[in-house]
Amino acid sequence: MKQKTLFEEGSLWPVIAALGIWAAHFLLSYWAAALWCAKAADGSGSLFWVRLAIAVLTLLALAAIAWLARHAVRRYGGRLTFEDDLTEDSAAERARFLGHATLLLCALSAVAVLFDAVPAVVFSTCR
Amino acid sequence: MTDAPASGPMHPVLPHPDCQDDPALREAQEQRLRAVWKKPTGWRYFSAVNNDTVGVWYILTAFGFFAFAGILALLMRVQLALPDNDFLSMSLYNQLFTMHGTMMMFLFAVPIFEAVSILLLPELLGARDLPFPRLSAFGYWCFAIGGTFVAGSVFFDAAPSSGWFMYPPLTSEPHLTGIGADIWLLGLSFIEVASIAAAVELIVGVLKCRPPGMRLNLMPLYCWYILVVAGMILFAFPPLIAGDLLLEMERAFDWPFFDTTRGGDPILWQHLFWIFGHPEVYIVFLPSIAIIASLVPTFARVPMVGHSWIVLSAVGTAFLSFGLWAHHMYATGLPNISLGFFSAASEAVAIPTGVQIFCFIATLLVGKVKRSVPMLFAMGGIAIFVAGGLTGVMVALPGFDWQAHDSYFIVAHLHFTLIGGVVFPLLAGLYYWFPFQTDKLLSERLGRWAFWLMFVGFNVTFLPMHLTGLLGMPRRVWTYPAELGWDTLNLVSSAGAFVIAAGFALIVLDVFRPKGRQPLAPRNPWGSPGIEWSAAVPGESWGARCVPIVTSRYPLWEQKDLVREIDEGRFYLPDAEEGQREMLVSDILDAEPTQVQRVPGPTYKTLLAAALLGACFIFGTYKLWWLTGLCAAGTVAAIIWWLWTGTSQIPEKPEKAAGRGLTLPLYASGTRSVGWWAMFITMIGDFSAFVGLVFAYFFFWTRHEAFPAADAGRPDLRLLVTGLALILAAWALMELIRRRHAAGGIAWARWGCPLAALLGLAGAAAFAGALWSAGLEPTRHVYDATCWVLVLWLGAHVSVGAIMQLYCAAGSWAGRMTPRYDADLHNVELYWNFMAATALCSFALLGLFPLTAGGP
Amino acid sequence: MDDGLSSFRLPRAPVAAAAAALAPAALLAGCSGPQSWADTAGVEAEAVARLLWIMVAAAVVIWLLVIGTMLFAARSGPSDPRGRGARGLVIWGGMVAPTVAVLALLVAGLILMRDLTGRTGELTVEATGEQWWWRIAHAAPAGDADAAPVPTPNELRLPVGRTVEMVLRADDVIHSFWVPSLGGKLDMIPGRVNRLHLTPTRTGRFRGACAEFCGEAHAQMALPVVVMQPEAYADWLAGQAAPAAEPADARTRRGRELFLATGCGACHAIRGTAAEGKLGPDLTHVGSRLTIGAGQLPMGRAEMARWIADAGAVKPGVRMPAFDMLPAEEIRLIADYLVSLE
Repeated sequence: MKQKTLFEEGSLWPVIAALGIWAAHFLLSYWAAALWCAKAADGSGSLFWVRLAIAVLTLLALAAIAWLARHAVRRYGGRLTFEDDLTEDSAAERARFLGHATLLLCALSAVAVLFDAVPAVVFSTCR
Repeated sequence: MTDAPASGPMHPVLPHPDCQDDPALREAQEQRLRAVWKKPTGWRYFSAVNNDTVGVWYILTAFGFFAFAGILALLMRVQLALPDNDFLSMSLYNQLFTMHGTMMMFLFAVPIFEAVSILLLPELLGARDLPFPRLSAFGYWCFAIGGTFVAGSVFFDAAPSSGWFMYPPLTSEPHLTGIGADIWLLGLSFIEVASIAAAVELIVGVLKCRPPGMRLNLMPLYCWYILVVAGMILFAFPPLIAGDLLLEMERAFDWPFFDTTRGGDPILWQHLFWIFGHPEVYIVFLPSIAIIASLVPTFARVPMVGHSWIVLSAVGTAFLSFGLWAHHMYATGLPNISLGFFSAASEAVAIPTGVQIFCFIATLLVGKVKRSVPMLFAMGGIAIFVAGGLTGVMVALPGFDWQAHDSYFIVAHLHFTLIGGVVFPLLAGLYYWFPFQTDKLLSERLGRWAFWLMFVGFNVTFLPMHLTGLLGMPRRVWTYPAELGWDTLNLVSSAGAFVIAAGFALIVLDVFRPKGRQPLAPRNPWGSPGIEWSAAVPGESWGARCVPIVTSRYPLWEQKDLVREIDEGRFYLPDAEEGQREMLVSDILDAEPTQVQRVPGPTYKTLLAAALLGACFIFGTYKLWWLTGLCAAGTVAAIIWWLWTGTSQIPEKPEKAAGRGLTLPLYASGTRSVGWWAMFITMIGDFSAFVGLVFAYFFFWTRHEAFPAADAGRPDLRLLVTGLALILAAWALMELIRRRHAAGGIAWARWGCPLAALLGLAGAAAFAGALWSAGLEPTRHVYDATCWVLVLWLGAHVSVGAIMQLYCAAGSWAGRMTPRYDADLHNVELYWNFMAATALCSFALLGLFPLTAGGP
Repeated sequence: MDDGLSSFRLPRAPVAAAAAALAPAALLAGCSGPQSWADTAGVEAEAVARLLWIMVAAAVVIWLLVIGTMLFAARSGPSDPRGRGARGLVIWGGMVAPTVAVLALLVAGLILMRDLTGRTGELTVEATGEQWWWRIAHAAPAGDADAAPVPTPNELRLPVGRTVEMVLRADDVIHSFWVPSLGGKLDMIPGRVNRLHLTPTRTGRFRGACAEFCGEAHAQMALPVVVMQPEAYADWLAGQAAPAAEPADARTRRGRELFLATGCGACHAIRGTAAEGKLGPDLTHVGSRLTIGAGQLPMGRAEMARWIADAGAVKPGVRMPAFDMLPAEEIRLIADYLVSLE
């Protein structure tokens, strides 16, 4: 029952993992567009392939965040409520606190990922 | 729904250890603690390392620089009060605005966070001190020396004059800028080192020095913010240090990183600077918001509404703030879609900021707010900051920013965010915590006057600047003609600036007025919930009478009798039997005590090391290379002396009774020791600087058709392979030594460490040889320069690693490192893990990457 | 607990609220000026200004709501921590509302950016930033495709209603090209070429400035801009393309001799004479320009003489050395010659 992994009870990684996914999505989108426009784009500067890649990246990132949120609920008992004070002095409560924080950060990261996809919707050339 | 309520409270609060019932014993304990934690007096005063002494120096120095930079601003406002004014010369004005920005950001905003945190953190954690008191003192002295050097340059007409973000090629051409740019680059690099040192200390402090029972869910919000901000410093400052290195190499040795005629590109600096520069804004903002987060529950008399939501917001802001850097570069002509990503992140960061502000408002709503000067400053700060945030989401749009950028609209925006988001909350904190440090309250009447003067003065100064910007006034102009409609607005702004100054002067007056006849403040005068207020009045220098058990977010409200029990020494470490400064180390998640850590006392060694390091940077500024080298060697010697005599001392016994029947070890190695974590965190920061250099390599690759160009030399692959093999061998040997040594193989440490040092140095030499033999000339082209800077970085780090290995060997010979007490070896092994990674990356860039580019 | 601390109250009408409420009125009244980005004269500037006013209005309302709520919260009595007020405030006020608002703003902002950069230029003007002046060259008049671009340093003239593509470069350090009335700024960066599109909508005289700090005389690097009717523009450009006029009288002829003999030609060119310097502005038609020294002095004989005698006194840091070692009369002769070059 107690297998030690990165996402095991008592690990802090899940808390920042969602924002890590956002960061990866952000950097990969930015690099894809910047490298494409600097090195690969043809005369018209079409961004077709970059936009396709960003669409795929966005779906992947959202899926990963959803998985993480599910994990936060199941493994940590995290709940997306506002009133949860989580002030009890126990290891279980601390775990619920981390689960709760993870869940909230999943929500924020999902929004941030969606924000980062907007430019790919609006722009179609390297201009 | 939840797991079984598995572990209940870990620390039974009752029964108390009866032995503490004896007042005579308690008196004797207090005598011993007092003697151990006594601050040096007389001519030894400046050898102090206690966090409350260093913290106060730090705060006073930072506010001193704040006042100095403020006076520079007043001079500028006098100059701008009238069109075509000649109160200041063009050259002096350019120095003043550069120094104003530089000092406010580097000598006030970041250091004041560190200063306040060094002062407060141990007390918030019920700890006696920070885990590395001498490191705080060293950081302080670096800051004071470097800051004085940079600030003093203005008196010699030698101050930097290219703006606080120092864009090359204006700054990379020595004939355009003179010595000022060198002073900026070297003086501030020196201070950035101090900032990173403080960040390391604060992270370790929050993670490993919490009082028993303070699990992560019970940790005060201020500590969360410290953790988040210190983490940000770790990733934000190193890219700037990398940038400083590149720019100074170009200035001093003509390595063409920013020279377009030899393949360089000035935009690289902007990336490196703003990867630092935007997180920096949040690095200075979040700690001040943390102050508000500490005040609000106190004065609203209720726990913070949405505690976990604030934690989430702080962490979220920290991450998102690294995705905004190019919003300072909207006008550089990057592709639209790239700007779009940065615009998106810049807008998204408003969300967690909004959550924080609304949690504060909700708390005020739930509670019955007790009016006070700190709350006045806090709420005034929020009112200003929200306005700055609203203009912030405007200028986050590239299309809009193309008009607003570099105009007075931006000047208004940034002062709204920084004065509302940083200065006002800090002054709130000053009024709030002043009695905590000095046992005297500040005057409420003067405080109210000061607030209203500053608040009104602020709005009179900066609100019109939005309009001045709208009318087209660019920032950083020393004069302007009359016919553009800017004169009245500027005159109003100038008048307002003096009102702000008057308000601040009142605060200074209040702080320094003699308070001998004023009665002592009552204990916990605001009725705060925080454990820092448990200290007796008048205070003692021991930090905490004993290390309490904390089982609540608001211990002084919710834990009955806590203060009395602390006073009676009924918790951990109530005594200093061995006459040593001791503190408790605990685990990260649940703060279970794991070790009693001994910390060293007063010393001048840290001051010596900081002075030598400062001299090294200062001589470097003036290109006095022999003296620079001499001081560098002296710095290394002083640091070794300090470490040798102050860290990883073998205790006289393996463990001791920490109180309440708990026996804890006195020594720890590896991941259980605070030193290992400090090394780990430092190396994360160091590695981010290396990543900055790697970024530079790839950046140049995107800027060239072929990088390296077909005619460029290719580093000799055989020598590179040799170098990599030697460094990896040194790393593997280090790993082996640590294991064999732990198993009793003392000879491994004594002979193996020097051997590993030789292997490493030989490896670095082979890397250099690979470039040398291929004829790479760092002044020829940016490709050659980039290769050389990577090798330079590797060589410098391997050299430091070699010194560490020799230090371990010497420790073993001297008997200060044994198989049981081997913390040094663990730390050096950790360092070499990073060396292996650095060598692998360097090899990939220098040896493998050119293969993909084709060519000879 | 010391209740003396609660003896004062927050004022009922905070100064900032009043100031913020007055700000828009002040803005509307006082936003005109030759360098104002609210006093628009171009398609690009108008698009930004429209968004500006919407955002300012929204920001004032939001600020009043947030700060009003804060003041109300600070004065209201205690309420239930688990009540709907606190939760609703954070969830709707702190999270949902900002998310929706900034998302809408982001979309609007990106579309604005796409529109601002979406046009194609009908004519091309090259502008190169120099310390501390503008090297400007217009594409030669229509029908003469092979001709070299026409240099018109330190003055930009544009035909109304046509989209111009500004080709921006820098020679020495980073500058930024900004004519607020026409549109946003774009940096001029050594080693790079940036392209900015401007579409003037009304004729008139405007003022541009360098927006990126570029060294000593940055503050005095202005750019007079004139938007003209297309026919007038064509006439003007044809005039500028011609070589310098021959001196009409003995005085200006003497001025030209002195100009050449003093070595002015090392830095300045006057097409049609031996002066072919490239370091400083081309002076072929300097007399036709509106200002001297990148917007520092009005064009005139006395001003030109003052500039030649000691340009650094007018514009500290300027690269042109003082020529006050010349006799005052010689300076006046040179000035007269230059002003005659229309």
